[in-house]
Amino acid sequence: MKIAVCIKQVPTREWQPRLRDDKTWIREADVSYEMNEPDAYALEEALRLREKHGGEVVVCSAGPARVQQVIREALARGADRAIHVEDDSLAAADAFVSAGALASAMADETFDLVLTGLQSDDQGHGQTGVVLAERLGIPHSTIIMEVQIDPSTSSGQAGSLRVKRELEGGWFQWIAMPLPALLTIQSGINQLRYATLKGIMAAKKKEIRKASLPAGLQPSQQIVALAMPARSKQTHLIGGSAGEAAKELVRLLRDEARAL
Amino acid sequence: MTRETLEVDVLIVGGGPAGLSAAIRLAQLNQGAGATHASPVSVAVLEKAREPGAHELSGAILDPSALRDLIPDFREKGAPLESDVHGERVYFLTQQGKVPFPIIPPPLRNHGNYVISINKFVQWLAQQAEAGGVDFFSGFPGQDVLMEGVRVIGVRTGDKGISRHGQQKPTFEPGVDIAAKVTIFCDGVRGNLTKELLRRLQLGKDRQPEQFALGIKELWELPKDRVAPGTVMHTMGYPLRHEEFGGAFIYGLPDGLLSLGFVVGLDYKDPLFDPHMAFNRFKQHPFTRALLDGGQMIRYGAKALPEGGWNTIPRPYMDGGLIAGDAGGFMNSVRLKGIHLAMRTGMLAAETAYDAVRAGDTSAAALSRYQLKIDAGAVRAELYPVRGVHQAFGSGLLAGVVAAGLSVVTRGLVPGDLHGEPGHERMQTLRDYSGAAPGTMTTSNLTTADRTLTFDKVTNVHYSGTAHDEDQPAHLLVHTDVCSSICGPEYGHPCTRFCPANVYEIAHDADGTPRLQINASNCVHCKTCDIMDPYQAITWVPPEGGGGPQYSGM
Repeated sequence: MKIAVCIKQVPTREWQPRLRDDKTWIREADVSYEMNEPDAYALEEALRLREKHGGEVVVCSAGPARVQQVIREALARGADRAIHVEDDSLAAADAFVSAGALASAMADETFDLVLTGLQSDDQGHGQTGVVLAERLGIPHSTIIMEVQIDPSTSSGQAGSLRVKRELEGGWFQWIAMPLPALLTIQSGINQLRYATLKGIMAAKKKEIRKASLPAGLQPSQQIVALAMPARSKQTHLIGGSAGEAAKELVRLLRDEARAL
Repeated sequence: MTRETLEVDVLIVGGGPAGLSAAIRLAQLNQGAGATHASPVSVAVLEKAREPGAHELSGAILDPSALRDLIPDFREKGAPLESDVHGERVYFLTQQGKVPFPIIPPPLRNHGNYVISINKFVQWLAQQAEAGGVDFFSGFPGQDVLMEGVRVIGVRTGDKGISRHGQQKPTFEPGVDIAAKVTIFCDGVRGNLTKELLRRLQLGKDRQPEQFALGIKELWELPKDRVAPGTVMHTMGYPLRHEEFGGAFIYGLPDGLLSLGFVVGLDYKDPLFDPHMAFNRFKQHPFTRALLDGGQMIRYGAKALPEGGWNTIPRPYMDGGLIAGDAGGFMNSVRLKGIHLAMRTGMLAAETAYDAVRAGDTSAAALSRYQLKIDAGAVRAELYPVRGVHQAFGSGLLAGVVAAGLSVVTRGLVPGDLHGEPGHERMQTLRDYSGAAPGTMTTSNLTTADRTLTFDKVTNVHYSGTAHDEDQPAHLLVHTDVCSSICGPEYGHPCTRFCPANVYEIAHDADGTPRLQINASNCVHCKTCDIMDPYQAITWVPPEGGGGPQYSGM
């Protein structure tokens, strides 16, 4: 199995973002970054599939030089090699540009399986994986909670997949699909392993292939404005006896807050 | 699961200014040796933070003397020095007013120094070290010293993947035993490994007791013209009383950023005193209020400082081991500076370790050359003359200021060697201090937070970027028997006040019995509790690697 995992570097969540003066993106001066969480689960899933079925895991990322941090982390956790599409303009790229950049660097590799996170913690469009599948010309499935591979191949067939998708309201759906394919992975599908000292040392010797941004890739979306959530706190005091108040509280929770 | 082992020639524990300067120096010595040696001295650095610089906190003003010697072309290499220092002021604050000092006391003159973000500076040092071929392992705390008799043979890193109940999770990854010919301990102020060494090898024998302070800092964003970059202000006086050591620092950074901090000696007497409240009271002073008006707090942090000076520095060498930087107390509390001394001692430790490894003798006798280098050079020249100044502050603010002045005039003849007490022993009981009823918990310097200028501890911690995996054992080991039985009645649970991150809370069981609740995931790794607890019943051990604050830009 030749598996690609696409990862993105995003600002850490334990951080108070500040907006740029033009309000179209956050200030990057004092940001610290980490691997996008769903992507970390995608990487872990790829490593587990490799342990089961053999092959190699190639980690792919599109972004400025700083994304080396998460590439190295992925290599330390066990990915075999990496592809880095490096360009400063990819720092806050939309899904179309990110997917286009990745697709051009990944096209020649003919991966059997491509995994991405379900969505990014920063922009959260949930589009990059889907657009990438289209650009690579392979089928995709989203919000994946379990991956089963039947690698049995006869006469050049690449094998097939059974995947479990998460639906609303606690429902799941099983889908059978052919390989090659792209899956967008939901957080929590597995348990993340830690990077080890030996893994970190081994990562230093692993190949990171640099690719450049293909010409003519124009953003199709533009962030017009970002805004911090307004702080609002409304207190509603319910009067009456304890019994009446409890009744009223339940009614409000059910009808207005829709929490019940 | 089997425990991994790793062998290196020199292991450095702690990726701060001391540890990284040691690593860079070793890399330079390897390169300088050229063809004379078949293989370079292998070097690894352990750092508990998720990434370099994340746990670094300081004012910070950098005296570039050690940097100049370590990396002469630091400018070309892009060292992040935010601004030259200019426009220095020192004020004595009264409750409502301020009195400028007519002259800047010589120790506080900062001409030729730089205002820096130590977070960015340490990130840069880490890049220099890695470029030199050093293995830098972030997210790996040193958990235990590995010893053979009195000889340090390496360090065991912390286990990962242990649940809050102490059971191995499916992702369990045991700590690694790293064997080293020389281990350089740069685990910072009240380092957990250095603390263990002090105890086991009695390295503090015949030395003065260590002394500490707590520094609390915020980063503010102000209207851009408010404070010029490079502006340096210090205050003494309000809101502290004469019996309390400390004061504020205010440093202007580029882009309208302001570094604002408050230092309180961890030797105060009043058990109901709260250092974080003192910081808030300082911010409510008309001077500070006007300074911060219209600005926004963007980061928070806290960290202890080793204040004791020359006479409190333990023996920094042992069989197979050396101690450098804040871990050894190499800080100049009179100049309020330690980064250059951390770097310098890191470099000297590296040179000593390199020679010892090459000579094949890493005994305490061979490594004692480190002490000779310290004594012969800039470290002793700077620290010895002021060796009694911090101890003089133990007799009050005036005595301290006079001693600081005399130490300059007499080049250290006065105040000379003064005795100091461990800070936690100076804390008095409720009865002795104020006659307050047993169990009183009302903070004596209480003030309310308005969440614009002043903040409660929980809000502040949110701005420290602190995160720990919640499903892990508490990393604050507390012998809780003392809490309700004696500490509450005698001292009114001072841990709930001296901790600047709201880690300690007293909850009450259904029958009203007070019970200590430890919010370990709030911990910003400042070490105050380990230092200041009057019963010394709290031991700080590293949490799972990677946990802790995220001091970006601090």
